[in-house]
Amino acid sequence: MSVAEAEARELEIEHVGGGLWRDAWERLRHNKGAIAGAVLLGLFVILAVFAPLIAPYGPNERVAGLAATPPGPTAEHWFGVDEQGRDLLSRVVYGSRLSLLVGVVSVAVGLSFGMLLGATAGYLGGKVDTLIMRIIDIVLSIPGLLFAIALVTLLGRGLVQVMLAVGITTIPVFARLLRGSILAVRESDYVLAARSVGTPGRGLLLRHILPNSVAPVIVAATLAMATAIIDVAGLSFLGLGPAEAGLPEWGAILADNQDRLQASPHLVFFPGFAIVLSVLAINLIGDGLRESIDPKLRA
Amino acid sequence: MTSPGSAAATDRTALLSVRDLEVRFVTRRATIHAVNGISFDLDPGATLGIVGESGCGKSVSSLAMLGILPQPAGRVTAGQVLLDGRDLVGLSEHDLRQVRGGEIAMIFQDPMTSLNPVLTIGRQITEALRAHLDMDKRAAAEEAVALLDRVGIPDSRRRLSDYPHQFSGGMRQRVMIAMAISCRPKVLIADEPTTALDVTIQAQILDLLRTLVDSEGMALILITHDLGVVAGVCERTHVMYAGRFVETGPTTELFARPKHPYTLGLLKSVPRLDERHHRRLEPIGGAPRDMRELPTGCAFAPRCTYATQASWEVLPLLEPTAGGDHRVACHNPVPDAELVAAGLGLGPDADGDAEDDDQWRP
Repeated sequence: MSVAEAEARELEIEHVGGGLWRDAWERLRHNKGAIAGAVLLGLFVILAVFAPLIAPYGPNERVAGLAATPPGPTAEHWFGVDEQGRDLLSRVVYGSRLSLLVGVVSVAVGLSFGMLLGATAGYLGGKVDTLIMRIIDIVLSIPGLLFAIALVTLLGRGLVQVMLAVGITTIPVFARLLRGSILAVRESDYVLAARSVGTPGRGLLLRHILPNSVAPVIVAATLAMATAIIDVAGLSFLGLGPAEAGLPEWGAILADNQDRLQASPHLVFFPGFAIVLSVLAINLIGDGLRESIDPKLRA
Repeated sequence: MTSPGSAAATDRTALLSVRDLEVRFVTRRATIHAVNGISFDLDPGATLGIVGESGCGKSVSSLAMLGILPQPAGRVTAGQVLLDGRDLVGLSEHDLRQVRGGEIAMIFQDPMTSLNPVLTIGRQITEALRAHLDMDKRAAAEEAVALLDRVGIPDSRRRLSDYPHQFSGGMRQRVMIAMAISCRPKVLIADEPTTALDVTIQAQILDLLRTLVDSEGMALILITHDLGVVAGVCERTHVMYAGRFVETGPTTELFARPKHPYTLGLLKSVPRLDERHHRRLEPIGGAPRDMRELPTGCAFAPRCTYATQASWEVLPLLEPTAGGDHRVACHNPVPDAELVAAGLGLGPDADGDAEDDDQWRP
């Protein structure tokens, strides 16, 4: 084969595939689990956004009489009613708003501070790195839920406080992950090459190091959303959830009805099932994302 | 022409003049003596090959020149790197950034890992342009197209928006070269530019480098362990061992009459195309030096068949040989009789005809 032929063949081989993220998207699209997760999560998002249209009643609307052992599902009330005579389906539908909000907000809090700390530690290195990472080690040695309980006690009860508390507990995870990733990328050939053409430090970090380091953090953030929903439900269950009375938070519904488990199991089953389904959906997406943007799987 | 050797070699200012450069890697456990006082001058348009085996300090020297040694361990402990008379050692990071890419640029060994996978190659080429030449986005993009054309990437305008993984190894190396020459540097350092490529692509890339050096008047420092590459491209060759130059001279002269046993060993370990009988390749015995401590005598002595007591005790300095500009740092240079026995020396290339270098080319 002549040199010219070799070159021509090389060109043919090259022209396949699109950008990096398009690549990841292609791989994600063919992941059945991720698609199932996305459809499921999409349903929850629709429920949350159009709650007033979908829910037959308001979350705190009294549609039946007070009852010590409220009746289970009927044709009129699919999920049954609770002891205060509220339609459980409506409460669960409205609850999806809270759960998604909680997931997004707490992860946003954890992600922003975690990435800031991780990037600082990883990029600057040296004493700054040691200081930040030791503090993070200390925080990580406290069990997450315990730490969240302590924070709620400190911040007071309320939806915002709970989201903050759960968010703060995820900071160390993101910080540590991003730092490790940056440490590896910082020493890579293309960063050296970028330095050799005179790219300034800020450009190195923002254009070369960070974009190549965030993939594992994105995956972790998705999975952390699921954990955040569980944590908030857990805090609510322990009586440390949002203090606002009548808030249809899934965990709070569970907690309110835990002693009616035998007489009216539907009160525990439906909100519990909602928690499981939403967390499952997010986890499926997270796993799919991991498989599609993991740099090790990249061609 | 360049002039090798001691710090007192020249008074006139060369384009790039490295004086007794010394690089150490200091860690808690040990100090690595990576480069132990190398000196050379480079004139505009000159081509210099630096040859040596892995770990002899070739790449570290070039990183040191650009001030991008791995931190925090790497540091220049002595010497100067004079670019147009200005010492780059100790220059502020801000000033060095202007030099990098602007005046000295570098091509790296592995094109598969030296391009940022998440940025289009257009972004990566224009980055240097915009940093150094203060171009706006559109002008930089136009210039990038011209650069890609010059390094032989077809359909350049469309390929600006492609990502590195859409290019093959050879094409990526062309992109790296385009990036390196984007701001018309005065010195181009190519660190093993063809090592990661297969042989046909190697030849293309070397051709490209040769053409660019000729047309742009850039000075080229070619760092390699491949003698064939040096023979094809460089006017001068410096052989490096354990952080020092052990033999320097015009490439033809050095290949025809290697004086240092190490150079001879390197030449004997390379297959030649022009031989009638297949000769057994002779490896150099032993292993490269442990760079954690400096030897008192010649660093090559433990592996050298010519070593004498003096080799172990006295550090040999670069001294001129009969060949004028050809210098060697050896107490017991290889006698001419040995060269004949090795099939070197008084061959047809003794007249220094550059064409004969082809026998070493890949």
